[in-house]
Amino acid sequence: MPKATERDQAVEVQSEEHLPTVLRKKDILLSVRDIHKSFGSNDVLKGISLDLRPGEVLALIGGNGAGKSTLMKIIMGIYSPDSGEVLIDNQKVDVSNPKVALAHSIYMVPQEPMLFPNMTVRENVTIGFDAKQADLDRELESVMDEIGWHLDLERKASTLSIAEQGMVEILRGMMRHSEILILDEPTSALTFDEVSALFKVINGLREKNIGIIYITHRLAEVFQISTSVSILRDGIVTMQGPTKDFTREDLVKGLLPPNAGIVKETAAKEARAIDYSAEPVLELQNFSGYGFKDVSLKVYPGEIVGLAGVIGAGRTEMATTIFGRDKVLGGKVLLDGKDITGLSTRAVISAGVNYVPEDRARDGLFRIRDVEENTTSALLAGSALGKAFLNVKEANRVADGYVKNFRTRVTGLEQEVGGLSGGNQQKIVIGRAFATAPRLVILDEPTRGIDAAARGDVYAVLQELRETGVSILLISSDMEEIVELADRALTMFQGRINGEFAKDQITQDNLMSASFGVTKEARSA
Amino acid sequence: MMEKVKKFMARGNTSWNMLLVALLVLEFVVFGIANDRFLRPALLFTSINDNLPTFMLSLFVTLVMVTGGIDIQVSSLVGLTSITIGVAWQDFGLPIWGAVGVAFLLVTLCGAFSGFLIAYCRVQAMVVTLGGSFLYSGMALLVSTLSKTESYLGISGFPEDFRFLGTYDVGGVIPIQILIYALMLVVAFILLHKTKYGRRVVLTGVNQSAAEYSGINTRRVIMSTYVLSAIAAAIAGTVVTSYLGTSRSDLGGDLTMDVITAVVLGGTLNTGGKGSIIGTALASFLIAFLRFGLPLCFDVSTQYLNIPVGILLVAVIVGRTATSGSGLLPWLRSLLPGKSSERASTSGK
Amino acid sequence: MQYVKKLLKARGLTSALFLVALFLVVGAINPSFLTPGNISACFNTSVVYTLVAVGMAFTLFIGEIDVSVGANIGLVAAVVGTLLRDGQPLVVACGAGILIGAVIGLINAWGVAIMKAPSLIFTLGVNGVLRGVLYVYTNGAWVENLPKDFKDFSAVTAVGDLTVYYCVTILVVICIHLLLTRTKRGRYFHAVGDNAQGATLVGLPTMQTKVLAYVICGVMAAVAGIIFASRIGFVTPQSGNGYEMKAIAACVLGGVSLLGGVGSVVGSAIGAVIMASISYLLVFMGFSSNYDNAITGIILIIVVVGDALIQHRSIVKNRRARLMARVSDGTTAADADAEKGGDAA
Repeated sequence: MPKATERDQAVEVQSEEHLPTVLRKKDILLSVRDIHKSFGSNDVLKGISLDLRPGEVLALIGGNGAGKSTLMKIIMGIYSPDSGEVLIDNQKVDVSNPKVALAHSIYMVPQEPMLFPNMTVRENVTIGFDAKQADLDRELESVMDEIGWHLDLERKASTLSIAEQGMVEILRGMMRHSEILILDEPTSALTFDEVSALFKVINGLREKNIGIIYITHRLAEVFQISTSVSILRDGIVTMQGPTKDFTREDLVKGLLPPNAGIVKETAAKEARAIDYSAEPVLELQNFSGYGFKDVSLKVYPGEIVGLAGVIGAGRTEMATTIFGRDKVLGGKVLLDGKDITGLSTRAVISAGVNYVPEDRARDGLFRIRDVEENTTSALLAGSALGKAFLNVKEANRVADGYVKNFRTRVTGLEQEVGGLSGGNQQKIVIGRAFATAPRLVILDEPTRGIDAAARGDVYAVLQELRETGVSILLISSDMEEIVELADRALTMFQGRINGEFAKDQITQDNLMSASFGVTKEARSA
Repeated sequence: MMEKVKKFMARGNTSWNMLLVALLVLEFVVFGIANDRFLRPALLFTSINDNLPTFMLSLFVTLVMVTGGIDIQVSSLVGLTSITIGVAWQDFGLPIWGAVGVAFLLVTLCGAFSGFLIAYCRVQAMVVTLGGSFLYSGMALLVSTLSKTESYLGISGFPEDFRFLGTYDVGGVIPIQILIYALMLVVAFILLHKTKYGRRVVLTGVNQSAAEYSGINTRRVIMSTYVLSAIAAAIAGTVVTSYLGTSRSDLGGDLTMDVITAVVLGGTLNTGGKGSIIGTALASFLIAFLRFGLPLCFDVSTQYLNIPVGILLVAVIVGRTATSGSGLLPWLRSLLPGKSSERASTSGK
Repeated sequence: MQYVKKLLKARGLTSALFLVALFLVVGAINPSFLTPGNISACFNTSVVYTLVAVGMAFTLFIGEIDVSVGANIGLVAAVVGTLLRDGQPLVVACGAGILIGAVIGLINAWGVAIMKAPSLIFTLGVNGVLRGVLYVYTNGAWVENLPKDFKDFSAVTAVGDLTVYYCVTILVVICIHLLLTRTKRGRYFHAVGDNAQGATLVGLPTMQTKVLAYVICGVMAAVAGIIFASRIGFVTPQSGNGYEMKAIAACVLGGVSLLGGVGSVVGSAIGAVIMASISYLLVFMGFSSNYDNAITGIILIIVVVGDALIQHRSIVKNRRARLMARVSDGTTAADADAEKGGDAA
């Protein structure tokens, strides 16, 4: 099948050579052919072929390490492929650097917005153009009118929210009259409203015959916005075609390794007996801080409490404030009845709380240090590793224990963690939190950005750990995850707890509705 | 035995240290063949003696650079120590060891001040210690004006028991100041590589935020490294005053380049997070013997010695960036015509 | 209040105000200072610092640094000095000097932009090498007996008591400032320093910009070296020593951030005047010039700490305001939704 299209393509290219540009444009905007790329011994892309047509929204999904970002970087000219070619408007192009890509009307909105923080919005959008500033300004105004966004152009980019930064990136792409727009997980930091605004823009662009590659981790979005879908796994395309031909289950099958999938179902789901008459391990009383307000909740011994909500609901802020990273504005945090409100991080850890941060790279990992050092870093606060001198033997023993228990794939305790896969890195950060023998661990998006197999491993690990009596507060935007793990679930919306669900009430539907602020009554009304 | 050595070195950059050792051996061989006077212990010790302040400072500046900072004020603190000892002793009539104590206190406070600004006010280390180098050398000059002795003359005539610190040879061979250095070396090594404190220093340097989330008080850690390097400067200033027999405000004035060179050459990452005391020590020996051997064996004027040292620094830093994958090789490749030759070769298989 | 805040944000302007305040304070202590001649002298003495600082600013804009300028000044001054002493025409001598500066700039650019070596350490090494080359070139001797015309020209005034050197320098600084702020390409330096990866992604010529910054820095230092030779009249192997630090300090005083992307050349030129005139001002305040370094250090530290604290506070404030904006006031979700919709519109 792909062979055939390729040949057709070749014929078309020749026959179309004489046609006026306008007609040719209707064909394929961008196609990549048999792209291979490896970094050292690591084969990231093993022969990828994709086509993008005008007005198409191609959803590109796949786990971490599947090669999505690498492929996009090749299209943008940030990497050059080992073999294979990129055709733009049916012509082979040597995209050797981003300038070439931009000259061919390709623009990528990167996952992390790449703005100039000390420049104004205007400068950010218009830099790099050769036209007159006045012309650019006029065009920018009209583009903003067109899509209905109005940003203060004189604001410095450093004062913009993540969502606004994403908007600036999209404006950049529109100003370039891009015919090919690559959106790399554009919704990962957006609120619900912002997502729907973005989707409106995408639909508008589609009507203008712009081709869009839409990278996402969220399957729901695939059906909401895309016209076709390609699934990448381990450097190959496992499935592709029009979105309407697929069901959610098909996509999941394409994402999972061939023989996995079934194992997950066996995870015990029987309701565990939690003693709700016992004294809670953690109790928040009208706890307020920056980004959340009047939060009251209880976590009982051995319980996993899921905390659902959309990104930006204030869950991470609440967790980090408990953890001594920001100022408490009111209320109390009690651990086993003891007041730990407003203590330093170090004191909170020794009191018996630990936290697995949301942003693993920024707040969790010591990339250029080894497995042992990463696992035991939180133990430096107590006396487990010796008083003044470091007990390396003990540190190695602890680290080794977690590597074995969590089935972390490392070559040894001396391996630098920067080279590990996302899943293994996450296991190490989770191991660090449990190494301090806490009463309660707050896990913040523990499986974000890690592949399905590693996710299963993390779930198994958490199930085992709760058997030891540790309580877990699980913050997650992945409703499936909360359904799978939690004994009880809470939802947070705009900084407040707005729903509580017992085990038998925890369904994706319930959690999702509450996360978006839709209560049952409101929906029926 | 080998196993033990390996384990011992494991925390540093073993292969890097081995390279430094090899270079040191090479120096000995080349200089030794060229002029066998190079190998005389007394001469070697003299060459070390002359460079001892650099040696001492670089040990603890290593700690600073492991946290991701930089300290270009230490050399000015050497002068401040020296002149404070002189003035406190000669013009304020303190006993000599009392004067030393005053100097230590003052210099430690200076280090703490800069460290506080860097750690708690989040000012870049480069700028604060730049300001510090002006401020503390200025303070040294002002202290010297408190003396009745003209500052360009320097204060001399220190009592014997103080001079002993820089002139006495243990067993008639090993200068006592080299023993002091050895002691500092051991302390620095243990601090960085064997204690929990050292681990905190390293982790803070790799990722300050992650270190905070591990419950490490990173600000205190950062500040402490500047205090330690200031104390090292105080020791160096005391020893060099004793060795030279004069107290001057401008002692140690131009050590900054040598200190940074030694630390970087020793394998400490300028971005922080990795560093080795042994490496720093080896590198400072490498530089010292280069500065000593070239004039002795090849009749190179001492004033030209900045060239080989500078080239060494530049070569090391370029070489290391290149081998880490983002420098030399891609550059060479980009020079190749067409830039596609690499692609063609791999696609051919 | 809003207006004041905006003014404070223009860091170049605050340094200018600081300079005026400095003059006024000294004038209040010693009225005999406030003569055109004295004030001009402050500017005139700053000419070498100004040139070096403006060149340095370019490397700071792109987020790097160049500490080889000190030896650059010395080497160029020595070469130009010997050429003139040996009877070469001025054009040849200056041309040679500027060429040397450009080559030094290229070497630094090679190391930093192409080999991606850390700039502080690379240029520190280059500084050492150049200093050694200077010794080799001069054989450790002083370069003296420069042509009288060359030396005397440094005292020729153009406007009032301001020297030709300073007036030309100011014109150059203003031109550079306009080029940097009014042209498209001028913004590239700041952009590269602000976010190098982002700059590549929007197609800016990151590499060329970095190379250009270092060449400009090298050439500016070379010009400073020529004027140094003219003003001082002789060159020692130590000439130019420490100018790199003073230039960095001048830039920082003028509001240039060492993190890149922030500041202006006008700011660094004003910073250079502050740096250069401190010792001159101290004399009028009745202090000995011994206070020079200490006062410089204190001013530098106060300025950078102030900057850092203000910046940190505004970051924290912004973040907290943003977080608080997300929290609903506890009414029903529908209300909150409507409110949010209102915000977005």
